[in-house]
Amino acid sequence: MDSTTTDMTPVGYEACTSLLTTLLTSYPPPFMFVYDPETPRLTSSVVRTLVQDLKTRSKTAGSPLKFASAVVNAVACFTRRLFYDTVLNALAEWRPSWEDGCGNWSGSGSMSGQRFNENFDAFVHGLQAIRTLLEHGSDDLTTKTSAKGKGKAKATSNNENETHRLIIVIERAERLKDSLPDLLVPLTRLAELSQLDVITIFVSDVRWADMRPSLGASPDPYYIDIPALSKQNTIEIMTTAFDTMASCSSSSKLVDAEAYSPVLRSLYDQFITTLYSICSPFVHDVYELMYIAAARWPGFILPVLEAHRAYIEELDRLRADGRSHEFDSDHRATEVSAHSDDEMRDHDIAGILYLPTEDTRIRLVRLFTPSFTSALEGLYPRLTHAADWAREHIPPANLLTLPYTQIPAHMSGALGAQTTGGAHRRDIHAFPRTSQFILVAAFLASTNSPKSDMRMFGRGTDERAKRRRRKGGSPRKAREGTGGGGIKIPQRLLGPTPFPVDRLLAILGVLLEEYDAETRPQVPQFAIPGEYTDMEIARVSIHAAIMELASMRLLIRVSSADRVDATPTFKCGISYDIALQLAREIGIVLNDLLWDSV
Amino acid sequence: MDCVEIVTPSRASLRIANHHSTAASPLLQQPRIRASTPTRSPQALPKYGRRGVSPSKKARLALDDATQLESNETPQDGTEPVFGGTTHLRSSVSSRRKGKATWRPLASDEALPRILPSELEPCLELQKRAILKSLQNLPDIDENDEHVSANATAYGQLNDLLKGTVLRGEGNSCLLIGPRGSGKTRLVEKAIASLPERPIVIHLSGHAQHNDRLAIREIAWQLAQQTGHSFLPSEGDNAVEETPPDPENPFLDEPEPNIVLPPPAHLLALISVIPTLPRPTIIALDAFDLFAAHPRQSLLYCLLDTVQSCRVGTGTKGIAVIGITTRVDTINLLEKRVKSRFSGRMLRTACPGRLHHWTELARAALSASISQDVPEEWPPLWKAAVDSFLHDATVMENFKETFSLTRDVQTLRRILTTVATNLTAASPYPSAVKLAASTGIQRCPPRFSFLASLPYPAICLCIAAVHYQTAGHDAFTFEMLHESFRDQVRTSQSAPIQIEGGGIGMAFERLIALRVFTPVAASSSSTTREFVLYRLVLDRNEVKRAVGVMGQTNLKKWFSKA
Ligand SMILES: Nc1ncnc2c1ncn2[C@@H]1O[C@H](COP(=O)(O)OP(=O)(O)OP(=O)(O)O)[C@@H](O)[C@H]1O
Ligand SMILES: [Mg+2]
Repeated sequence: MDSTTTDMTPVGYEACTSLLTTLLTSYPPPFMFVYDPETPRLTSSVVRTLVQDLKTRSKTAGSPLKFASAVVNAVACFTRRLFYDTVLNALAEWRPSWEDGCGNWSGSGSMSGQRFNENFDAFVHGLQAIRTLLEHGSDDLTTKTSAKGKGKAKATSNNENETHRLIIVIERAERLKDSLPDLLVPLTRLAELSQLDVITIFVSDVRWADMRPSLGASPDPYYIDIPALSKQNTIEIMTTAFDTMASCSSSSKLVDAEAYSPVLRSLYDQFITTLYSICSPFVHDVYELMYIAAARWPGFILPVLEAHRAYIEELDRLRADGRSHEFDSDHRATEVSAHSDDEMRDHDIAGILYLPTEDTRIRLVRLFTPSFTSALEGLYPRLTHAADWAREHIPPANLLTLPYTQIPAHMSGALGAQTTGGAHRRDIHAFPRTSQFILVAAFLASTNSPKSDMRMFGRGTDERAKRRRRKGGSPRKAREGTGGGGIKIPQRLLGPTPFPVDRLLAILGVLLEEYDAETRPQVPQFAIPGEYTDMEIARVSIHAAIMELASMRLLIRVSSADRVDATPTFKCGISYDIALQLAREIGIVLNDLLWDSV
Repeated sequence: MDCVEIVTPSRASLRIANHHSTAASPLLQQPRIRASTPTRSPQALPKYGRRGVSPSKKARLALDDATQLESNETPQDGTEPVFGGTTHLRSSVSSRRKGKATWRPLASDEALPRILPSELEPCLELQKRAILKSLQNLPDIDENDEHVSANATAYGQLNDLLKGTVLRGEGNSCLLIGPRGSGKTRLVEKAIASLPERPIVIHLSGHAQHNDRLAIREIAWQLAQQTGHSFLPSEGDNAVEETPPDPENPFLDEPEPNIVLPPPAHLLALISVIPTLPRPTIIALDAFDLFAAHPRQSLLYCLLDTVQSCRVGTGTKGIAVIGITTRVDTINLLEKRVKSRFSGRMLRTACPGRLHHWTELARAALSASISQDVPEEWPPLWKAAVDSFLHDATVMENFKETFSLTRDVQTLRRILTTVATNLTAASPYPSAVKLAASTGIQRCPPRFSFLASLPYPAICLCIAAVHYQTAGHDAFTFEMLHESFRDQVRTSQSAPIQIEGGGIGMAFERLIALRVFTPVAASSSSTTREFVLYRLVLDRNEVKRAVGVMGQTNLKKWFSKA
């Protein structure tokens, strides 16, 4: 998608680009920080284009200021070596090639063969070597042989008054704080440390204040704040993407070759405006919106293209019959179109695609509007990807001629939510009954406090079980940073608490005895009540099931697996909703067994 | 975006010639009439060099200028707001000489033209560049009051010290202590540059050389660069280096073998070579306190030992070690054997101590002179602009406020950089408004400027978090927020738009990425994502303001329930 912005500055970025250009072509602060909380990717691509542009322009025009630039992404350059090599290769415009063993840039001419990625000092030496390389330039190759190895040879008169400026742009710079913490300070002081004219630009959606090294070790950057894109600008950027899509859609199998044909542009504008009004309350990122648009548009336009093709077939058939003229006049009314007739006739006869009528367009938008929401829900969290989604949501044939009642459900957007939840439910039902019991027991053990166990599960005549519940909850919870006073938060919202496996088995025993005993076959040798259950929970298969659930992360092991002497402790890994379903499955009313029921 | 085109004066005069040709046109006969119509809006002027302006357009612009001149001349037109307005500009078309200056030099009581005449626009561009240039290397301001600034004293001392080393072959050591951005590095550079002889200079920084091994290698490298001999430690050290990284995982950086210190012999060997070099040597150790954290402080020990044993008149060259640091207690970090070899000399730098100093710096930067030839009317015009800027009460108030927050000169530089880049032909002079705008960005940028434009689910989560905060629960999990969001949707008639699961989860993650929510504890693998405890970084009022700006009644209602 970056290709959409390579050739021109997107609207809304004029101020930023002019500021950056002014600075970079005159006397820039050595460390700048571009901050954009809303659309960092777009900003990155703008900065990238700008820097690239400066470089190429300075090369062709005879300006005394030359640029070399490197734009690197801190996500990709997650180790020092990767970072050093990527930057140096980019600055030297060096492309590792497979044939010569993918070597990194290692100096030029007589200085070659060095390793510049060992440590920061080597990197700085690399930068200095690049400066020397640039100063001596390509036209110096002839004099190089005569000059003795050292970089002392004076530049030829031709580039004597040239200055060379290195620009290093780091995208997603907030990652540096975690991945390369000891590089952060040197990078911000790069000009001072290398004694070169090198500009470091960080691009991030996080404020510098949130990644600033301690003790003020880095100087504060020159801040460049990107204002949020306005509605018009977002829509404009999205609609101009149409043209670039037109050029690359021919290669895609998924997208109809004609889906981005220029005549449909104004329909596309309408489509984008509607899409924006529906999705923008939830997502502002223009790339995300464009992703959704790219997934929906081919399906959206399909009915129009189909109708058009059907019409052409018809036309051909009629032409073959030599009755094309009559057809033209009487079939017109029922067809999709009612344009100004002259122009239309030309198009019809030539079989050229044209913009559908206003009515059709409104109808299309109305039909597809519900599916925008489902696209948002499926695509923004990337529950599925655009191609899959588009495939699943191809509109039915002849959508435009279907009566309203026959519009299939998935057009109304209800389906998206169901599929995601449904998959999960099916998996849960596939569990053996014992595992279902274990999971419910684990949920109870994680949600109820141990103190309440006696009261909730204590059975028999023991009156102690009826003890009054202590006021104020357990002291442990107050310590958990959730604040002491105020309303009490139900445990199921705070997350599962760990429990020893013994407690799990005890609760499991109660559940089995109460909800499962009747379904077991009669076994005469267990006469005492509960004896059978006791035997059941002591079975190896129960332990095996627990381990299996732990391996599936439905139970989360808290104690370390290496310890043999301690009883293992677990946490429950399933949510309240799933626990509720499971309980229903095995006939338990979960809320009756929860200490603070919902 | 087009590159800024610097129009040379010759080009400017060309344009003026053009103007003259149109001046004779009959259109100019009615300037009085046009003068009563409002002048064109500032935005109407193109910002930069106008390569592509057609002749006719040029003529029109020139005409506009003429119009304005005329209007300024007429006494009854005095109501027109004039920048810093005191009197009207007395100038007329007829006073223009052939192809040359069109503006008489301004007398002190004359006002600035509100809109820059087009022939002076190139001057503005040049002036901008000059300002940016001088901001990059701020001039020194000598305070001519009774007390000399700390930096000047330190400079004198450092200069004497270095001269002793360079000219007389002394061994010297000192510490340069001062707050961040007080010009320490600058001072050292300046002192070194002013020396009569060119010594060997070695720059080390505790930020880059994390251990003594790296420092030694870097010293050797820099010595080699400046003397042409190789000083790299013998192969033994290199052998350690060349061990290939783990072949299993090419991405793993090999753990830096920083335990392997260079054998003391190496250190001593290399450093003891220094006094025997053909030229005196200056070693500047930036972030000196970090060097003191290196194990055994061997580098510092060797350096200071060499310095101490450097005797005048033994045929060796001098050596100076300058430690640069912000920590006032640095001397206490040194081990006893190191401290005893240190001269104990400490120089101090300070940030400007008075507001006056600051504004003088600002004046010096803003009124930087242009190196090229400019029309003679430009310098006085610009001087008047800078003067009226610095005499503006709001401007001074703003400077005072910034100065009381931070005396860091770098902040001033950043603020003025933005002011300079915002000068356009349409509003060509620095002003209080511009200063305020740039201070807002550069002094201490607002942390959560994006709040009011947060997506709907995100602001809902913030409101829910505020509710929990008010209820005494500072930490919350995703499930807690989700629950209160669902409750809100269920109970209120004016329900927020219903969203299914995905959106709200994404909003939560977005808020974490934007650092609006910060985790309370370090992440642990045994806690699933929806139950990790987070804290809201915003305070209640910030959320309230954002909700207010968004202006959705259901959100406001929900918020006020807290
Ligand atoms: N007294 C001063 N007069 C003019 N400019 C100054 C003064 N003090 C600082 N500056 C400006 O501040 C900039 C930063 O100074 P410098 O880098 O030397 O500070 P520093 O003390 O080394 O900071 P740090 O402790 O972060 O290394 C200099 O480039 C200089 O332009
Ligand atoms: Mg410094």
